[in-house]
Amino acid sequence: MNMKPMFPERGPAFWLTGLAATVSAGTIGLLFVSLVVESVPVFKAEGVSFLWGTDWFAGESYGALPMIYGSLMVTGLALVMVLPFALGSAILTSEFLSGRARLIVKAAMELLAGVPGILYGLMGIALLAVWVRDLFGLIDGNTLFTAGVLLAVMILPTVMTLAEDALRAVPGETRDTALSLGLTRIETVMQVVVPQALPGLAGAVFLGLGRAMGETIAVMLVIGGIDRIPQPWFDLFAPGQNIPSKIGREAAEALGFDVQWSALIALGLVLFLMVMTLTTAGNFLIGKAR
Amino acid sequence: MPLTVPVKTVVLISLILLAGAVAMIFRPGEGTQVFADETTVIRVAGSTTVLPIVSRAAERFQSRHPSVKITVNTGGSGVGIHGAGTRRFDIGLASREISPKEKHRYASSDLRTTVIGRDAVACVVSSEVFHAGVQALSKQQIRDIYLGKITHWQQVGGPDRPIIVIDKEVHRGTRHVFMQYLFGKSNARAPGARLVTGSNNEEQAKIAQSNSAIGMLSVAWINDEVVGIGIRDGERVIHPTLDNVRNGRFPIVRNLNLITVGEPQGAVKQFIDYLLSEEGQQQVADSGYIPVQSPHAVSRVAGSHSK
Amino acid sequence: MNPRLWKERTTVFILYGLTGCGGLVLAVILTTVIMKGAPALSGEFLFEESRNFGLEGGIFYQMIGTLILMVGAAMVCLPVALGSVLFQTEFLHSSKLKKMFRFLIYSLNAVPTIIFGLIGYLFFGVLLEAGVSWVTGVLILAVMILPTLHVSIHEAVESIPDHYREAGLALGLSPGQQMRAVILPQSVYGIVTGTLLGLARAAGETAAIMFTATAFSGVRLPQSWNEPVTTLQTHILVLSQEAANPAALTHAWGAGLVLLTLVLFLISVTLWMRTGMEMEAER
Repeated sequence: MNMKPMFPERGPAFWLTGLAATVSAGTIGLLFVSLVVESVPVFKAEGVSFLWGTDWFAGESYGALPMIYGSLMVTGLALVMVLPFALGSAILTSEFLSGRARLIVKAAMELLAGVPGILYGLMGIALLAVWVRDLFGLIDGNTLFTAGVLLAVMILPTVMTLAEDALRAVPGETRDTALSLGLTRIETVMQVVVPQALPGLAGAVFLGLGRAMGETIAVMLVIGGIDRIPQPWFDLFAPGQNIPSKIGREAAEALGFDVQWSALIALGLVLFLMVMTLTTAGNFLIGKAR
Repeated sequence: MPLTVPVKTVVLISLILLAGAVAMIFRPGEGTQVFADETTVIRVAGSTTVLPIVSRAAERFQSRHPSVKITVNTGGSGVGIHGAGTRRFDIGLASREISPKEKHRYASSDLRTTVIGRDAVACVVSSEVFHAGVQALSKQQIRDIYLGKITHWQQVGGPDRPIIVIDKEVHRGTRHVFMQYLFGKSNARAPGARLVTGSNNEEQAKIAQSNSAIGMLSVAWINDEVVGIGIRDGERVIHPTLDNVRNGRFPIVRNLNLITVGEPQGAVKQFIDYLLSEEGQQQVADSGYIPVQSPHAVSRVAGSHSK
Repeated sequence: MNPRLWKERTTVFILYGLTGCGGLVLAVILTTVIMKGAPALSGEFLFEESRNFGLEGGIFYQMIGTLILMVGAAMVCLPVALGSVLFQTEFLHSSKLKKMFRFLIYSLNAVPTIIFGLIGYLFFGVLLEAGVSWVTGVLILAVMILPTLHVSIHEAVESIPDHYREAGLALGLSPGQQMRAVILPQSVYGIVTGTLLGLARAAGETAAIMFTATAFSGVRLPQSWNEPVTTLQTHILVLSQEAANPAALTHAWGAGLVLLTLVLFLISVTLWMRTGMEMEAER
């Protein structure tokens, strides 16, 4: 790094920590550059139509749309399903629970946020897929819907905790003022606190969605693994494929080789950009709310 | 003040635990460094069809040759061939032949094939379908099912349920062999498919969990819930029994291959020789496959699935 | 009845209902893992190696493998995270650069783990020629948990009261001495909690290591740097695909319970320490 006079002392401590800082700040850049460079061959072979091609058959053609569709679909489903529960419990915890109860709920959520994805996968394949099939009278339980439900459950603790933080960030005086104006507690919350915390709440949801979009294992085991957009396209109970699951299934076979590898990296690049958009928006909104 | 005590204790305990874990893990490694050079590691990975044989044999082989360590991993035939070709693994497992494309891709690696057993791929269905009357299908019917032209079991005399067609990942050995038989093309497409699975275990589980699935599976993996159906050819029905495979009547047979770069040498050769020995071949049989007495006698069966 | 009061009550009731449903789902998950996993646990299960493709025997080397990867990752990551935080807080004065740095770390935190697997293999597996090995896994996981450690340590360093630093400066300490004498001792909690969270995250990760660091059977202690290990996570992954085989599922749930216990233990220690610290700070 090229440092100007802002660093008066350049002892060993400076160089050592500087090296560490370069490594940690450089990693993300290196990651991004690698993704771009390694995905060039597939764009050369397929053109930009790689992005909206609907046919993926290793060794013949590479079209990313079914995977992009699947990623968006399961993430959207997770959003719809997680929203009421996460926001409801965040409001309850932040506005109506005593300090002690609140601490317990928050601690439980932080514990649950750490449950490994593979356990959700195990539950999905052993239980949820079968339940979904029997409950909805489907011929098979490996569907986009199943994956969406799993993801919703997975990100519930994360979204809830972040949303709760956003609500707590609204100053107490705001509540007092509203209450003194004769609003009931729930009116205060709904008409004053929530609107004020809105950016933070949205940020929480975005961050949760970013996490859902990048999850591999849990989805891979229940989504059906077929690279096809269902017909009609809004058929949630059809099998599909999302980007991480596709990469997870094909990476070992293509590791470092050929157009297929490049196509997988390009999928990774698309995923990276989508997740980055969500999380950058999320972090921005949360930062703004502070 | 009293509160700080537990916190500090925790810090201390965590650090000690961490240090202990580190010491436990890395001490043996460091300690045996002297022997490390004498320990040979054979890395094996690939087809989940060949895996049971190799995994079992490896356990026996290692107990007799403590200086050899054999790690075995799943992944599929494509992974096995790719891994051997890129020298990621010492032995690649493949339940199919190396495709021309792969031969070209790894031309510089001089891939060699050793046949350790023979197997057949059966068309399998959920037991509920079998017991409801679908005990054999013609090649044309299976073809139409995979093409999506037949979508309901009633169309082939079965129960009143739609068919769940299970396909496999494109590089998988079982798929190559099955598609070669059905369509004369190992990478034929299957637009009728609903699910795509990877390993034999995964496919077997999906079919067992369902009551109306059809799939392709090695005969050794057939069980009470996942039943192999016969192939109807006019009046004749050939069931996927080991007898029918042995006497050559069952049409979808294949070799189980070990892929190495160049002729196997050293410990790798020792292990392969063990697999070809009487005891090794017994384990091939115990795993539900057909032993080969000598790798050369059957190496020409490779093309038999195009019959 | 007063319509406003009525509305108030129903809304609160709905909120409780939603929270209850959410809580119920999560409780069901925990109890399922415990109920299904507990029958598998036994001395044999914990201390023997797995046999017959995981259908018999135990998960001893799987546990060792998970430990090797997570501890290794934390050990590689800790010095880098620490150095990087110190550089940021002690040498970086422009708030723009600090913001930039924060953005980069937060972005790294958002990267889907499967991408770490892909690119990590390219760098460590292919370029470093470590192949499919525990070293590759350790390095990939180290990169993955870097933001977790970074954020945690950063918070701790930032929260050191200014007068501590000023005292150090008044004594004429160089930045290096300042770090050793003031900042590191004062941020031990942050370093430990960050490391524990990082360990938990590494222990729970599957996608990044499944095709880069592990093998399914025949693995014991690695005796050289380019050998694969076997882990609880990938063991569960393989066994879960055999969902129709009760023996496979029993072993998968058992391994799942062990993994869950490990991860939850690490996180609860963190939570406990943090609560302790908050209480201390409030006094």
